[in-house]
Amino acid sequence: MTATPAPAVSPLPDGASVVEVRDLCVDADEKKILDHVRLDFATRTLTAVIGASGCGKTTFVRTLNRMVELTPGLSVSGEVRYLGQNIYDPSINPVLVRRRIGMVFQRPTVFPMSIFENAAFGLRLLHEPDDEIDRAVQEALIRSGLWDEVKSELDRSAFSLSGGQQQRLCIARALAVRPRVLLLDEPTSALDPMATQRVEATMRRLKEEIVLILVTHNVGQAARVSDRVAFLHQGRLIETGPTAEILERPREPLTQQFVTGHFA
Amino acid sequence: MATALAAPGASAALDPADDLRRGHTWRLRWRTGWDRGMNYLLPLLFAVAIIPIGDLLYFIGSKAVPTLSVGVLTSGATYLSYDALAVPIVSTFEFLALATAIAVALGLFGGIATAEFLSEGAASWVRMSANLLAGLPSVIVGYFGWFAFVLYFGWGEVMLAGVLTLAFFMTPYVFRTADLAFSSIPRPIREAAYGTGARPVQYILRVGTPIAFPQILTGVFLAMAIGLGETAPILLTVQPGVVVPPNVFSPATYLTYLIYTGYQSPKGSLALTLAFQAAFLVVVAVIVLNIVVRIIAARYRKRLEGLYQ
Repeated sequence: MTATPAPAVSPLPDGASVVEVRDLCVDADEKKILDHVRLDFATRTLTAVIGASGCGKTTFVRTLNRMVELTPGLSVSGEVRYLGQNIYDPSINPVLVRRRIGMVFQRPTVFPMSIFENAAFGLRLLHEPDDEIDRAVQEALIRSGLWDEVKSELDRSAFSLSGGQQQRLCIARALAVRPRVLLLDEPTSALDPMATQRVEATMRRLKEEIVLILVTHNVGQAARVSDRVAFLHQGRLIETGPTAEILERPREPLTQQFVTGHFA
Repeated sequence: MATALAAPGASAALDPADDLRRGHTWRLRWRTGWDRGMNYLLPLLFAVAIIPIGDLLYFIGSKAVPTLSVGVLTSGATYLSYDALAVPIVSTFEFLALATAIAVALGLFGGIATAEFLSEGAASWVRMSANLLAGLPSVIVGYFGWFAFVLYFGWGEVMLAGVLTLAFFMTPYVFRTADLAFSSIPRPIREAAYGTGARPVQYILRVGTPIAFPQILTGVFLAMAIGLGETAPILLTVQPGVVVPPNVFSPATYLTYLIYTGYQSPKGSLALTLAFQAAFLVVVAVIVLNIVVRIIAARYRKRLEGLYQ
């Protein structure tokens, strides 16, 4: 395994499509979890994928970096293109996909290591030199908004952090390998309002640099942080568009019901 | 009238102070009393468990300790004359070290592969086989070793045959704990590692192993304790030697072998004394193994606090 240096992300033009989803279907044994989803994600845009529990939004976001393959019994068809390349092409190694398209989960998933080593985890996998790791860890912690709180105690166990800090550490861990895309699967669902606010502030800052795709069932959160909203219902993409338009003047009755909280 | 405090259905006026006493039926009294009684019974049950162990230790210790000395443990280049334990102690140590190395290699590899890479169906078959193997009487495993190594491979009754048979017997214990330890790593932790771009081997070495380590270590020590106490696999596959085996194709002796051959000897005989000494050493070694594993596991568990929240 040769060490692939974390790519210095060359800037893409504003509004350029980074991820394009075409005809994406995910099938479990009998059930269709995702049904011909078509969606684009562009630079400098935070897209919120909203929908009720069980609508397939978590599965959807897990197809975008092939994490879905870790769940046995699901079959994926259709295309997810990253910078034009279908990530499900047989010649593409899912490990490399996940190094370009990072992910943050519902609950903080810090490893039993120091704060520093958690943030450095992805870089250690790439066998980066130590001085480069030092630099990248600091940069990632600054970008995730955690640096000022932990800079003097980087050697402490990551478990000593609060839930919100742990979640921002997970964001830093994902950012350290400099992905172009970051998937956030309900990143604040286990956090209190204060911690949620800080994670949302981090998201608003990050979307200027990389493509953010946020899964949330919280319409308020989508309104606060996102530029675009995609509404999923029973595996189908019902409607997508600019946040203000979707939340205030949805075209589809289902969307209307969901955003106003009258969901049957 | 304190009607606001009256329970539903209570028609008569009720003293509020009485509210917590109503419903204290004999059935409830009996239930509560039973629970309390069981609480007192627990220490008694603990005594039932601890007394035989204490008795056993005292019995073996009282026979063995007066006859033991540093000289007995360290002397005896040969023990032809049955007067020293150095040879069986060193041989046993070698047996156990080799068998543990083999069992750990096989068990760890198999356990991790089963937990991480096998499909549900295949994994359940492998687990069933391992459980079956762990449940086999050791004498049957001994016969297997005898047929396979001594007869089929034609090595004769040499140390290597015993080492492999013993390893065969210990492997499922290491396998089971390695499998369980890796299977019980929280799924989000596993996914976070893969989601950061870890290859499977990187996940296993950098994230999985530190988390699974205390459990795996427990399994290894348990396997060692079981291996140390086994008699049949060695008895059937190795000819007892009188010197520390110069190589693995030599005869060799084992502590439990002394117990097995010596326990019927007449009172006061050297063989019986030796049997008690060997039994004492085995019991002490097993206890020490258990204590050591607890200390190490506790130290590691402290590092993992917070993982399972």
